[in-house]
Amino acid sequence: MRKQERRALICLALAMVLFAGLCVFTYRFVKDGSRWAGHYGNTQIYVDGSINRGTVTDRHDEMLLNCTSDGLEYSDDWTTRVSTVHAVGDGKGNIAAGAINMFAGQLIGYDILNGTYDTSAHGKTIQLTIDAKANRTAYNALDGRTGTVGIYNWKTGEIMCMVSTPSFDPAEGAPEDSEESIYFNNFLSGAMTPGSIFKLVTAAAVIDNMPDRDKFSFECDGVNQYGDNEGTEFRDIDEHGEVDFRQALAVSCNGAFGELSRELGGRTLKKTTDKVGLSKSLEFDGIETAAGSFKFPTDDDIRLSWAGIGQGQDLVNPCTMMVYMGAIANGGEAVKPTLIKSTSFIDEIRGPKTLGEYLEVSTAAELKDMMKNNVVENYGEDNFPGLDIYAKSGTAETGGEDSDAWFVGFTDDEEAPYAFVVWVKEGGSGASVAAPIASRVLQALQANNYYE
Amino acid sequence: MTTVFRWLFVVLAAYILLIAIVSLLTSRATPEIWGYFMVEDGGNFPITHWENVIGRSKSTDLNIPLVTVSNNQAILSRYDAEHWVLKDIGSENGTFVNGQQLDANKRYMIGSGDEIVMGGVYSTVAPPSIEESKNNEVMRRMDKEPVAPWKILLAITAFQAMTVVQLLLSMGEEITVGVVASFMILTAVMWAYVSFFKARGRKGFEMEMIAFFMSTINLAVTTSFNPTDTVKELIALLIGVALMIFMCVYLRDLDRTRKLRPALLVLAIAALFVNLAFGRAEFGATNWIRIGSMQMQPSEIVKVAFIVLGAGTLEELYDRRNTIMYALFSLYCLGCLALMNDFGTALIFFTTYLVVSFLRSGDFSKMVLTGVGAAAMGLMALKFRPHIASRFAAWGHVWDAGIVDDAGYQQTRAMSMGAGGGLLGLGAGNGSLKDVVASNTDLVFGFVTEDWGYIIAVLLVLCIITLSLFAVMSIVAGRSTFYTICACGAATMFMVQTMLNVFGSIDLFPLTGVTFPFVSTGGTSMVASWAMLAYFKAADMRRNASLAVNREEVWYA
Repeated sequence: MRKQERRALICLALAMVLFAGLCVFTYRFVKDGSRWAGHYGNTQIYVDGSINRGTVTDRHDEMLLNCTSDGLEYSDDWTTRVSTVHAVGDGKGNIAAGAINMFAGQLIGYDILNGTYDTSAHGKTIQLTIDAKANRTAYNALDGRTGTVGIYNWKTGEIMCMVSTPSFDPAEGAPEDSEESIYFNNFLSGAMTPGSIFKLVTAAAVIDNMPDRDKFSFECDGVNQYGDNEGTEFRDIDEHGEVDFRQALAVSCNGAFGELSRELGGRTLKKTTDKVGLSKSLEFDGIETAAGSFKFPTDDDIRLSWAGIGQGQDLVNPCTMMVYMGAIANGGEAVKPTLIKSTSFIDEIRGPKTLGEYLEVSTAAELKDMMKNNVVENYGEDNFPGLDIYAKSGTAETGGEDSDAWFVGFTDDEEAPYAFVVWVKEGGSGASVAAPIASRVLQALQANNYYE
Repeated sequence: MTTVFRWLFVVLAAYILLIAIVSLLTSRATPEIWGYFMVEDGGNFPITHWENVIGRSKSTDLNIPLVTVSNNQAILSRYDAEHWVLKDIGSENGTFVNGQQLDANKRYMIGSGDEIVMGGVYSTVAPPSIEESKNNEVMRRMDKEPVAPWKILLAITAFQAMTVVQLLLSMGEEITVGVVASFMILTAVMWAYVSFFKARGRKGFEMEMIAFFMSTINLAVTTSFNPTDTVKELIALLIGVALMIFMCVYLRDLDRTRKLRPALLVLAIAALFVNLAFGRAEFGATNWIRIGSMQMQPSEIVKVAFIVLGAGTLEELYDRRNTIMYALFSLYCLGCLALMNDFGTALIFFTTYLVVSFLRSGDFSKMVLTGVGAAAMGLMALKFRPHIASRFAAWGHVWDAGIVDDAGYQQTRAMSMGAGGGLLGLGAGNGSLKDVVASNTDLVFGFVTEDWGYIIAVLLVLCIITLSLFAVMSIVAGRSTFYTICACGAATMFMVQTMLNVFGSIDLFPLTGVTFPFVSTGGTSMVASWAMLAYFKAADMRRNASLAVNREEVWYA
């Protein structure tokens, strides 16, 4: 009998396995319960594939989407629907990062105690951080062109405006398939040639690595032939004449920045690009952005020069670029974006989530100063009434019919600290096409949210 | 109303099960003393089991630490109050009784005072004196008694009444008179059972309380899934309870039970054969047969026989023939189940076989060899059985695109809607998982989580774990290895079944489609679960606790 006593411990081992499995399940139940319950397979809350409870509003409680057991009710206003659909999402899950998909757990009022048991059966309200009015303004400003406008508060991380075009009206039902990639969110998932806005990265590398940058000087003849080979001209729109570092950024001199890139070398440029978060994808609220991609050859001066001015094989994601702009504004520290307005007291105390130090304080200060100089010297402060704006334009050659227009930067205002990115595909000149869009949306945003 | 009920259900369930569980795990039995083994110059050893190994090895029950004594010298088994049976199991220097050497592996009746010589040492067996018996009796009386059943009984009754109200609230007119009557009959049977055996001096009812509670959840799940099945399920439950009582009474007599085994062996072989010949395929496995309008799963009933056929007295464990018979029978069962394509049940039988063989032989290497061989065979089976292979392929990836609505459909739905239940559940009858195939059987853990909440679902698993812990603990005071192997075998079966069922539905293991004991809907499964409970009852050696054990005589008024 005593032998059996010992051998019976094997039953205890089985009991342990069962108990351990229960523990694993418990862990997952706590961690993933919300995601599980919000899955479209849950027929408790999905009727004919559509979620049946919950409301999505903008930051000012403007209703964007009402989920009912009779189906999805969107805003009455067409422009609102079209301009917010990439943030709100559609019922069929075509827009992967839409709130209805990403935050289904919160939308249905899931909590671990009650599950989806909802006595009112109306679900919960998710307040997005976006401003519907600014989204409408941005959509109208894009005026039918393909592009994106992304703006966030670089202090709190709240995304104030997120528009991607082409778009569609979710109330009309989602079109089966679209060549025009209406479901594609350029802001989160795009990766485009940055053009001259990348000079803000090269400039940061210069500030960090070239102590004698004040002595830098370049004679721009508008053609800027490098070496004797053909196809090695770093043309500029104008003949800039003699420019220093600061002036080179203000007039966006390709010749000067080509030379600076060669002086820095591929490794240094890569290091800075990685440091300011442009080569990685960004993750927030469970959403993952596209990652940029860059090639900085160490053995090919020509291609290195192109890479240093945002051409060549450079591709940047607009959202990560916006966050970099926020970092410059915020003394080098980047704040993680978010799309959900925090309702939790704890989150308020904890404050915004930092992504760490993108730049040193002094580097950020110098860049900021240069970006102001850009506006004063080049874009004209009058074009941005009421805004304390710091910016850089870009006109990216993509081989398309026209160049892509970029305008990135930030405003520095205690009440309205916004970092922004505007991209218009084949829009032409950044300063003349993208900058006015930024100006219009920022003004709308500021008017709507000042002293909120 | 449901909002309030959800809390009450959880509180009641926790109250019922925690009291029963704590009582089972804290009330320990002091071993009974059946006689004394007196060794010359070695002292007196109380004999606390019906079956004892005598030898030099430390793991023997009666230990004589002398080099002249073999590791396992002989087995001493109780015959009756006066007589014992002694059997030399191939000792080196032989065993002598009153000067005569015993033939190895032959049984000899001995009485108190007979002179036993092993390895040159004199010893005798003596009955316990009245004084010592009284002391032991006093000791046993001082043991913590099982908790009185009445409070739990009231709590379960309240739980059952509330369940009916909740089902009426959630399902309204779908709830037939039959459903309400079924719950009322369950309550009545529960009270009758406890009152009857309590009046006959039995004290331990925790295991039955646990089983009645789990059966209540079963009826609720069955009703929620399809109210017209409730009456059928209740009938199965009643048959199960009756079978359990019968088995308990039958198991009291060890010899009687042992004599029944050849008949059981034939029946089990026949049942599986009939299943193979006339079986019907359902969800991939051909494990159903139809008799008239009745359907049943013979393999569920064979489970019950499989346990008792694997058990053996200590003497039988040292008998090679007995072991080979058991191995052959197991192989036959596994072969049949493989042909039926019932992978899950085969896994249950196989694991139980491994554990029971280990309990019998203790030969770990043999067990490992068997395990490896079987695993290789299992892999081959995978190769030839595409539907099992696809389940293994989906395992761990059920949420992936392409799998989530295909091979992972059932698991993801069980997890998704289960999570929707939260900790408290949506209320019986309110769940949506019922629209998924086999949700009331294979996915019942998800079903319970959605309807009743995570807490109750987990408590149900803890019930199974508790029964198993109790089975292991009971060995200390066990009379015969026969009973302890039965209890441990039944515990293994319950646990493996629960593991496959629960882990399968939450993607910790491929979904194999086996039932959760007591909880899954299914008549045969319900009958088998109750019948298996008899094995646990037979191992309950707490004083006058179990109806499966003869009452102790009162030594003094």
